[in-house]
Parts: sequence; C-alpha cells; structure tokens
Amino acid sequence: MSRMRGATAIVGIGQTPYYKRGTSSEPELKLALQAITQAADDAGIDVRDIDGFISYASERSDPAKLMPALGTRQCRFASLVWIHGGALAGTLNIAAGAILSGQAEIVAVYRSMAESSNQRLRVAVAQNDTSSQYLVNGLDSPAQILALRSQRLMEHHGVPQSALYATVAASYYHARANPRAYGRNTEMTAEIYAAARMISEPYRLYDCSRENDGAACVLVVSAERAKDMKQTPAYVLSAPMGTMEGGGALEENWRPYYATAGQRELAERMWRESGYGPKDVDVAQIYMNMNAMGIGSMVDHGFFDFEEAGDFCTFENLIAPSGKLPINTSGGDLAEGFIHGMGLIPEAVRQIRGTSVNQVPGARLSLFTGGPGDLMSSTALLGSADTL
Amino acid sequence: MSYSFEQHKIVGAIEADDPFWRSLEDGVLALPRCAGCHGWTWPAHHRCGQCGSWQFDWVPVKPEGYVFSYTRTRYAFDRVLERKDDVPYVTLVVELPEAGNVRLMGVLKGDETGLAIGARVRGSIDSPSAKTKFYPALRWEIEG
Ligand SMILES: [Zn+2]
Repeated sequence: MSRMRGATAIVGIGQTPYYKRGTSSEPELKLALQAITQAADDAGIDVRDIDGFISYASERSDPAKLMPALGTRQCRFASLVWIHGGALAGTLNIAAGAILSGQAEIVAVYRSMAESSNQRLRVAVAQNDTSSQYLVNGLDSPAQILALRSQRLMEHHGVPQSALYATVAASYYHARANPRAYGRNTEMTAEIYAAARMISEPYRLYDCSRENDGAACVLVVSAERAKDMKQTPAYVLSAPMGTMEGGGALEENWRPYYATAGQRELAERMWRESGYGPKDVDVAQIYMNMNAMGIGSMVDHGFFDFEEAGDFCTFENLIAPSGKLPINTSGGDLAEGFIHGMGLIPEAVRQIRGTSVNQVPGARLSLFTGGPGDLMSSTALLGSADTL
Repeated sequence: MSYSFEQHKIVGAIEADDPFWRSLEDGVLALPRCAGCHGWTWPAHHRCGQCGSWQFDWVPVKPEGYVFSYTRTRYAFDRVLERKDDVPYVTLVVELPEAGNVRLMGVLKGDETGLAIGARVRGSIDSPSAKTKFYPALRWEIEG
C-alpha cells in the first residue's frame, strides 16, 4: 500500500456563498482570502501559520498575492496542478507529498473564481489551449467537446436518458436542504427537465454544471497533527492523478476507451492504494461538469457497467440517507454551484464529520472525483479514523 | 504563396499541424505518417512517441470514413460566434480506416438523414472564411 495512505488529513473547510456568475461584489482575490481564513477558523489554526498553497487549472489568486493579507509568516511550498478540473483531487496528492517530505506543515488547497473580475468561466478555464482542430469546426466549449463523448455513451453504449435525469433529480433534491445551494429553490420535475432548452446534444440545460462566483478552501496537515485538532479529521486514503497511454491531449483520438471519464486506471490505483473497493464507498461527490460525464466516472470507478447504468441510476439509489450510492449530497456541481468542482471537497469532508445537511448515517468512506473527460484527471477517497 | 490560415494563426495547442492546414488549403487531405515506424500519428506531433523519430511523411488520404460521434450545437458559444447564424449545426468526429482509424472533426453538410454513429461519410474541403476562422475546413456529407 502507498505511503500516502492515511498520512494526511483535511482538518479545516471554508466556503464563501455562491454568487450568480459575474455578480459577486468582491473580486476573486478577496473571495480566496475569505475561504482560506474561514478554513483556518474552522480548523482552529492561526491563518498566519499556513505555509503551503496549492490550487489548480487557471487559478489567478496566487500565494504571492494572498500572503500580505493573510500575514503569512513563511510560505514554504506553492504549486499549481495541471490541467483543468481534472486536477481537483490531485491537489491532495501534491499536498500529501509536500507534508510527507517535510516541505510544508499546513497546506491550503483552494480555488476562487469571479467572472466579475475575470472572463466567462468556460472561456477562462480553457486557458487558450483549445486546438484549431476544434475551433475551426465550431467547437469551443467543454459542453460541446464533452457532448461528443456523451453522445457515444448514450447512442453506442446504451446509457439511457433516465440515468441523466436521475442525477439531476438527486442533485436538486439534495440542494433543497442546503441553504448555501444556488439551485435550492429551482423546481425540478421530469417535465421541467425535458422541456429545458438543448445546449449541445445530448445535453439539455440541467445536464450542465452551473457557473458561479465563489471560493472554497480545505486545509491539509499530517495525520499526526490532525489527531489533536478541533475537527474530526477526514483522512486522505488515496488521491491519484494522471492518465494512461493513449490518453492526454489527443483531440478526440483517445484510444483505450472514449465515452466515459478517463478515470478507469486512476480508480484502479485508488482502490489498490486504499485497500477498499466500490462496494465499500458510503457516499460520493461526483464531479459533473456534465452529468453524463459523471455517469462515465461511476462506470470507470466500477460502481456499475454500461448495461447496468439505467437500473443503478435512479432517484432512489442516488439520494441520502439510504440510497445505494448517495451522490452530490450538497447539490453538487449541477445544483449547489460550480467553482470548478472545488465545492465537492468540503462536502466530502462534512460526510466524514457527520455534518452534511444530507448526511449519510455513519459514513466512513467518502469519495470525490476530479473533472471527468479532462486531458488528465484525478480521484480521491477520504476516510474516517477507523478506516485507516 | 501565402496561406490564409497563416495570417490568422490559432496558437496554444500542440501546433504541429501546419502541413495539414497547408495541404487542405491546397485542396488535399494529408495526414502524418512516422518516417521511422510508419505509424499514423494524429493529432500531429513533433516526435513519434513509439519509435522516437522526428520525421513525418505527409500522405494524401481519401476523405472517407465513418461517424464515430457527433454533437448538434444548439447555442452560440463565445469563441465560435462566427457560426451563430448556423445554429443548430452538427459537428462530427469521423474515423478514417485508410489512415489507421485516426479521427478527424468537421461540420456536417447537407441532409441529416441517416445521421448516426457508424454512418458512412465523405468529406469535401471548404475554403477559408470567417466561419472557419479563415482556416480551410473539412465538411462531411452522409453517404446515402
Ligand atoms: Zn515512429
């Protein structure tokens, strides 16, 4: 088993409210400061003692800008994880590496976005590396590019529309109990879902993640340090990142498999490193840039195969407290809000603490996944003390 | 002769596909084949990851293949607003058996009857225009 297994834990979480995109009165940098200071308060840590900073993708609130306002005593480690939302879970791997090698002791993992002080999210996240092969042919947005994958998931592999709707229904059901959720008052029925406008087929409006202004942060420390802290630690059992040969920046030429999330090998590594398997997971925060891609993640993680997707993905199976696999218990990227997936980590931690608004009773193993279909991705399993 | 796409270069990706656009602008579909191991290398790259060669032969290929996947765009997205009057339009990913099943993209032209994964398509070349960001572009027609 990996040396990373259980060696670090998340001991603090901080989140600003989700604002409608472009309407936050605060700039990105201030949102990042709010999330980081909240996480420090939550953990009972002096914010000045945070000595490591990790974010991912197109983050612009870099530690050099944050330090003066945090009163940082010493920044000893700073890193930005490649590529896009796929990097989400990999941030914990980098944090664990920094802590285990003695480079840093208290690491903030965070993401902040405000369209009011940046570009449209879906433009900013592309980081201007979209190939001419797409743009010349009328393809720009992640929604369109991922639609190519999902069309094949549905038409070729036979995953039914009902599975997509089940993820939407479960997400909005969970959002209703969450005062923080941007979509908590959105009514959702099969009729409303089906009548919503198409974006890029097969995606309808509610199949897509939201775009919000906001920031979130989690604090990572060594397992030893976590034991004596204020909050119940959420131990990082495994958080692998990467992709396999035949993956990467291949402009729709992925070879080993195409229609899912590109996380099969990552999930296999995670089960191996953690010593657990899909049947052991109590609750999952599944990254849904687009919900069909999240279904692909669940396939890649071994929760079900293509033929079983329709039977597995029902409203009853996907909701807390007693579904077979409760997912996105805060409302997730579809219904809580979307700051490049970063809201998923605090919710995965709350499930271990027992403080989610849609708590799965006695949750011990809490999964969250990185952006599905990204050129590289990641996934992570968090566990309570008795899973170590 | 100077090529249209060279005056309107889109940068930031792998950027080894200039010969693809150049030959397309000359009216020919050509794809790179490794000079060392003869494997088709797509997207075009700077080095063959299989044998280590830095040399590629650009081989003319018939624009014929099968629909691997597709999406019908129903919204005018930010960076392809030049096509807003064409919404909805269908973009295909097409596999080319003649070139080791490499997959190329392109907009669907003409009748949509028979559009499905696996459908046989034939390509033609559109001259550079604002819609194609002043690049030449492959367009695919379903073979009835
Ligand atoms: Zn070669």
